Parts: sequence; C-alpha cells; structure tokens
Amino acid sequence: MRVPARIYADSALWDQISQDQSIEQLVNVATLPGVTGYVCAMPDVHQGYGFPVGGVAATRVRDGVISPGGVGYDINCGVRLLATELTAESAGRRLETAVHQLSRSVPSGPGRNPRFSLGLDELHRVLAEGCRYLVEREMAADDDLAVTEATGCLTAADPDAVSAKAKTRGHDQLGTIGSGNHFVEVQHVDQVFDTAAADAYGLTDGRLTVLIHTGSRGLGHQVCTDYVRLMDQVMERYGIHLPDRQLASAPLDSPEGARYFGAMCAAANFAWANRQVITHYVREVFAQVFGEVHRPRLVYDVAHNIAKIEVYDGEELCVHRKGATRAFGPASPETPDRYRAHGQPVFIPGSMGTASYVLAGTDTSGERSFGSCCHGAGRAMSRGAAKRTVTGAQVRRELESRGIVVRCASKSGLAEEAPLAYKDVDRVVEVVHRAGLARKVARLAPLGVIKG
Amino acid sequence: MIYGASMTDVVGEAGRALASLTLGEPLPEATGPWREIELYSPDAVALLVDWLNELIYLAESEQWMPVEFDPIEVTHTYLHARMRGRALGTSPSLVKAATHHGARLEEVDGGLEAHLLLDV
Repeated sequence: MRVPARIYADSALWDQISQDQSIEQLVNVATLPGVTGYVCAMPDVHQGYGFPVGGVAATRVRDGVISPGGVGYDINCGVRLLATELTAESAGRRLETAVHQLSRSVPSGPGRNPRFSLGLDELHRVLAEGCRYLVEREMAADDDLAVTEATGCLTAADPDAVSAKAKTRGHDQLGTIGSGNHFVEVQHVDQVFDTAAADAYGLTDGRLTVLIHTGSRGLGHQVCTDYVRLMDQVMERYGIHLPDRQLASAPLDSPEGARYFGAMCAAANFAWANRQVITHYVREVFAQVFGEVHRPRLVYDVAHNIAKIEVYDGEELCVHRKGATRAFGPASPETPDRYRAHGQPVFIPGSMGTASYVLAGTDTSGERSFGSCCHGAGRAMSRGAAKRTVTGAQVRRELESRGIVVRCASKSGLAEEAPLAYKDVDRVVEVVHRAGLARKVARLAPLGVIKG
Repeated sequence: MIYGASMTDVVGEAGRALASLTLGEPLPEATGPWREIELYSPDAVALLVDWLNELIYLAESEQWMPVEFDPIEVTHTYLHARMRGRALGTSPSLVKAATHHGARLEEVDGGLEAHLLLDV
C-alpha cells in the first residue's frame, strides 16, 4: 500500500463490509502509482471488479495514473432529481396514470430508443457537448445546465477517442434507462431535516419528486472495455505492476492515459445527455397528465462513476469515484450559485421501495473524503443470491401492498433489486451525516417505480 | 468457470456458456451463414476476456448471438474462429462485459480450467 485506507462505517455496516472483498480491493487500489493521501470506502461499499463500488482514490496528475476500472463500466452513471409543485393528494388518481405513461415514454431494459436515434455527426456533438447540444434540440434549458454537475459537459471530451464499437452501441440508446439497478422513481418528500436547504432545493414537505438513475449505457461499457484492454497491454511498458488486472492503468500524461480521459469525458457527456433526454420525456408526461404548469424542475444532477481533475492543497489530482458522489460544500466554486449557502445537493437512493435521501455537501468532505460521499444503499447480496431468496412476483406484491405502483418488464429484474439485497439506507445515510461528508436535508418516499 | 481439454475447447465452451446465459438451455440451432472472427491478445487470459467481449458486442450491436463455434486456430495469444448464431430480436440484458477481475486459466488434470467474471 502506498497510502492508508479509510473506511466510513458503523459496526453493523462494518460487519457487512468485511464479509466480501471490499477491503481487499481497497488495499489493492492503494497500490496505484501516484495515489495520494488515502483511499476511501464509503459506508455503502461493496465488492466490484478490481475497484470496490463505493471507493474513492486520488492520483497526482503530475506523476500518477488513471484507471478505467476505477471509474467503472457505466461511466457517469448518476442520479438526477426533479421537483414539482404537486403533492400526492393533488395528483390523486392521476399519479398512477403518470407512472404508467412514464413506463411507456421512457424506454427501459436492454433495448434501444425508437424515438431518438443519432447519426454520427449528432452523436459526436453529444459526446463533445453533452447537455449543451440538447438545448439546441429543445430538450434542455439553460436553467437545467446550471444545476447539472459540470453543467452537463466536460470540455476535455474527445469523441475521436471513443471507438466505433462504442458509438455503434450508443447511437440509439440516448433517452433510455437500461437494466440492472437503473430506474425512474416518482416519490414525495416525506421528511425534512434541514428546512433552509430543503427550501433552497425546492423540496417542500409532501411535494412530488422524480428521481432518475442511469448512465452511459452500452457506449460507456464499451469505452471501459476498450481501455481496460489497452491499458492492460501497455502497463508493462510504464513499469506498472498491479495486484488486479482490472485496475489496469496508464500515466495520466501518457498518450493512453490522455486518450482514455478524453473518451471517458465524452462518455460522461453522453450520460448527462441521456438523463437530460429522459428528463424531457418526464416533463412531457407530467405536462400531459397534470398540465403544462407542472413540468418538473431539475434540482441537480450528480455523477457517481467518474474521474475528475480537482485541486486539493494546491495539487492537481485525478479523483476516481466509483460508486461515489461528489459532495462539495458552500465554499466550492463548483457548487451552483443558487445553492451556495447550503452546498451542492447530494442524492442517496435507497433500494427499490425504500426511502431515498437528499443531502447537502459539506466543506469538511474535502479533507475527509476528497469531497465525496456515498451513492446509494450498497448491495448486501449478489443479484444471483437475491433471485434465489425471493421472486419478482413476491417483490411486486410487497411493493403494491404499500401503495407503490411498479412497472418492470422483467420479473427476475425485480427480484435482483429486492430491498433485502441492499444495506439499510437509513444507517448508511446516518454514517455519512455523522462523519460530516454530507448533511441530511430531506427524505423521499417512493410512490411509483419504473425499473430498468 | 469453464473447462476444456485444450485452449481450443475452452474458447468454444466459453462462447457456448455466454450463449446459454442469454438464450437459455438447450441452445437453439444456429441459422444463417458462418462468420469469422480474429483476435490478438497479450496472453491466454486476456484472449478469453477479449473473446467474450467481442461476442457481447455482437449481441448488443447486432442483436445476434453466436451459438455454434468452429475454432480454426487458437493459440494463447491468437484466435481465429468461425461461428454461426441466432438473431435475438432485441438486445440481451444479462451480460454487459467480461472483466479481468479474478480472471485466470489453470492447468488441471487433463485440461484447462478458466475462471471468468462477467459484469451483469
């Protein structure tokens, strides 16, 4: 290990964390050349491929590496929250109609988007410009960009560094949820912990919200596959020896490192655009079902699988966040102006059918976790184990018995994402709050779920 | 985990295992013409990972899953195979990538045993 490892957990979470390979993987991450300070595991950490999910590692730009495995396959998988002026009461029976319409409007599962296929020139613009391109297409507004991490566009994106295979996989997937743990969820604010911050975020008690969780789809997966392969082939040349080949890395200032960074930024832009197109569809549905005045407003959009160049103590670092969210406080220039007094919004979705949390980033997170926070409840059980424990029909019945409308094409997909397969989100959030990584603002309870 | 008497067998078995994850068992009959694929990788483990990633790419991009394999030449760093498959009608959701994490190839009694972890 070149640096120590920090793990944020309470005793119950520690017991779960120590039962899988998370800690061993975190130790492996601490061997990356140029890693600095410490490596970090969030309370939702669980084993991944090479790099644990819920892991953070910062490498020096001047002499460190970048690792595609430290970002993950689903580049810029992330979460965005929309808020409305509606309540469950005012929505009434139209709520179920809205969830049903959302399931018809937003393609889910492994398929393509029949409504929006991009030509190569258009795809290049999405890769280069992210959400900014969608303003021109009237699927985004300037106000959306103001409350999207990095305004939904990393300018270091290099569309030419994205392979033809990745472009083939992604060209007709913009505006789709995908499968796995991705979802669109209609919720309501059921508890407010910090009224001032909640007001600033537009999250009054009882208001309906929509949480969108998805990423860069097949395009991002192919970028990761391509560059893990490339870096695995060139590591030896740079004298890099790592305990796990999935951590394959190259110096940031090498041609391979620079090319991956450009491709990753392009895939990140694709992911932001993906969530923005879904937002456009959600707005269309809400306008149809509830009226034009009820088009949801974007609260914020955060990435949780990404590598970002950030400055800590005067040093430029490449902060790898794999299954970890930025949690910048009021002092950060990257916190949107409108949230300056409170810190950036941070979203921690629970498992399907359980609460999700909105938190505010803190300035102390900079020194404690490279400005990072956890990204969800974290798996406690593999997908296979979940399917052996519970059926999709059981999960559906349980959710519906609690008044939650469920739309999911795959029964096994429902079983994989059963609440019992996840850690206790309340406990995870409490650790984050008490550790000062982020501050609790509001809790959101699900009313309808469209599962990918 | 994949077992084969030789690297050639392991390559074919890995392809069939991936197909069975997507299409279920027994595998359906292949239809249509043979297609060829060629790959170079630095070692046998990387070759197997790259092989599966090629098949995953075909499944998602062309919605076509190879189910019948005829490895023409397989070394520890090179693969040339023919294959026939089935149209899927939609992109499969199950397997998104083959990873290097924990990937290994071991000699066992009378053959080779490959351990490969898939991203699902």
